[in-house]
Amino acid sequence: MSKKALITGITGQDGSYLAELLLSKGYEVHGIIRRASTFNTGRLDAIYADPHSAKSRLFLHYGDLSDASALSRLIGRIQPEEVYNLAAQSHVRVSFDSPEYTTDITATGVIRLLEAIRETGIRPRFYQASSSEMYGKVREVPQTETTPFYPRSPYACAKTYAYWITVNYRESYGMHASNGILFNHESPRRGETFVTRKITRAVALIKAGLQDKLFLGNLDAKRDWGFAREYVEAMWLILQQDQPDDYVIATNETHSVREFLEVAFSHAGLDWQNHVAIDERYYRPAEVDLLIGDYSKARAKLGWEPKTKFIDLVKLMVDSDVQALSDQLAGKVKPNH
Amino acid sequence: MPRALITGITGQDGSYLCELLLSRDIEVHGLVRRTSSLDRSRLNHLFSDPAIYGRRLFLHYADLDDPTTLRRVLLKVAPDQIYHLAGQSHVGLSFEIPESTCEMTAMGTLRLLEIIRDLPKPVRLFHASSSEIFGQPAICPQDENTPCAPVNPYGCAKAFATQMVGVYRKAFGLFACNGIMFNHESPRRGENFVTRKICHAAAAIKRGLQKELPLGDTSARRDWGHARDYVRGMMLALEHDQPGDYIFATGQLHSVQDVVERAFATVGLDWREYVRLDPRFMRVAEPSNLAGNAARAKQILGWEPVISFDEMIIEMTRAELAALA
Repeated sequence: MSKKALITGITGQDGSYLAELLLSKGYEVHGIIRRASTFNTGRLDAIYADPHSAKSRLFLHYGDLSDASALSRLIGRIQPEEVYNLAAQSHVRVSFDSPEYTTDITATGVIRLLEAIRETGIRPRFYQASSSEMYGKVREVPQTETTPFYPRSPYACAKTYAYWITVNYRESYGMHASNGILFNHESPRRGETFVTRKITRAVALIKAGLQDKLFLGNLDAKRDWGFAREYVEAMWLILQQDQPDDYVIATNETHSVREFLEVAFSHAGLDWQNHVAIDERYYRPAEVDLLIGDYSKARAKLGWEPKTKFIDLVKLMVDSDVQALSDQLAGKVKPNH
Repeated sequence: MPRALITGITGQDGSYLCELLLSRDIEVHGLVRRTSSLDRSRLNHLFSDPAIYGRRLFLHYADLDDPTTLRRVLLKVAPDQIYHLAGQSHVGLSFEIPESTCEMTAMGTLRLLEIIRDLPKPVRLFHASSSEIFGQPAICPQDENTPCAPVNPYGCAKAFATQMVGVYRKAFGLFACNGIMFNHESPRRGENFVTRKICHAAAAIKRGLQKELPLGDTSARRDWGHARDYVRGMMLALEHDQPGDYIFATGQLHSVQDVVERAFATVGLDWREYVRLDPRFMRVAEPSNLAGNAARAKQILGWEPVISFDEMIIEMTRAELAALA
């Protein structure tokens, strides 16, 4: 019988890549989706089959991290061997506008899920999607699993709570519960309001003559950017270990938004300086410092390493958005991916 | 007359702070939750004084999970200072009710910050943080730069609230302070906290009302101060011209065993005849090595604890004896 995995946040960038990976490994995959009046499963279209088909191994269930009873019921019914908690209000700038909601889902949601697991008495392995934003005002460079946290946004405070409560349930109840501390990871499926995707979409539109200006915030912000498809492999590897543990997943390189602009625009034969303008509304009230992750532990224990580095990542995102736009203009529809 | 608002006013710290602020001619408003038993024993002496209640002390119904009411009360009272002391504050219980601990202690603090951020008149905020945010620290004593690494649901929630106070101070320029309070006790400590439990048992055994005292691990050591000293630190933090984070601690470690011996000696009994080890009171993940370095509070605020450990346990035990007389 195939293994069963439950993914929260399955409709997001990471969730969709992880679902594909697990299906390719023969898992039965269950995902929790929120009810919304518009469909939000676009990233799953490629793998979603008719649930009535006998061959279907992907199942979506309505639920929400704000709904403890629903979580408990779903876990009891599905009886998963692995739970990947990827759901969150994941946008840092938005977390300053909507901090209570961010905390309810990103922090309290995790303890609801852990409590639901504890209560059902089944013992799935648990993966918590932690974030490099927890390092915030960094205490050392590069950051490792032992670097203390200094969160600088409501999102980061919520993720730090989630990290510790995961460690706490591991230590208090012997759960196989692990944190992957993922540094920024991008892809053609990245949300359109994140700076990388915002840039690559703008490049496609500017190249097609449909847009002229791109408004951005802090161009000097530096991040460690990897490729999401490779990062979900690390999530799976973390749950295959005999012992639960916490791992930094990163590229150990750091690049500025400005460098991202240079590579993205020049890849499309454009000069970014002709198109980019600054809008201070996109600045964060408090910026994080130099984020760069040392993934030695993941390499040593999981045998994981990033393959796609910065320049190739930017290029593949630009290529994808250019292709998607030309498909859209040619009437082949399906924006986004 | 300056106006202060206290969340958690019915608790140990809230009641001492209320007395202190009233003695400094500050008008005090407190938030209270509706319950079917009207138990405000720590405030009864103030509540029943017509010169105080309704003139300089006012209580309002509200709850940390009810943002609309919080906003309404804050707009109506328009305080100059807010002392945020409310929370599900029992570590052992936080393993029993982790979600509501998170809801009150973590989310409740955030809701308050959100409302304060939008208030028309700037207000100073004191947040009662806890040494539990440090978990089982490698370095002893701890100071304001010691990393957070909580080991229980209570500590996780307090760490969140503490960090969020820092974020709002930096991002929105709020005058918001964290007091990282190490354990502090008094005759008004909740009955299910270990010091109070021991002092109560020693007195009850002395009065012939109880036969024995079941306890968890008595070698556990803590940095224990007196709540009356600690609420003075809270007030000093908000009187300073700059907001900041401060450790409030004695720096001295004493064991549960020390409490037992001092309490039983106060009533003139030999503890060995009455104390029994009971595994039900063992914590799942027991913190240790928690001792605070309050040098910053001393240097910047001129704060120092003045009540010693022995004086405190004697006061607590005598209060229990008097209550059972």
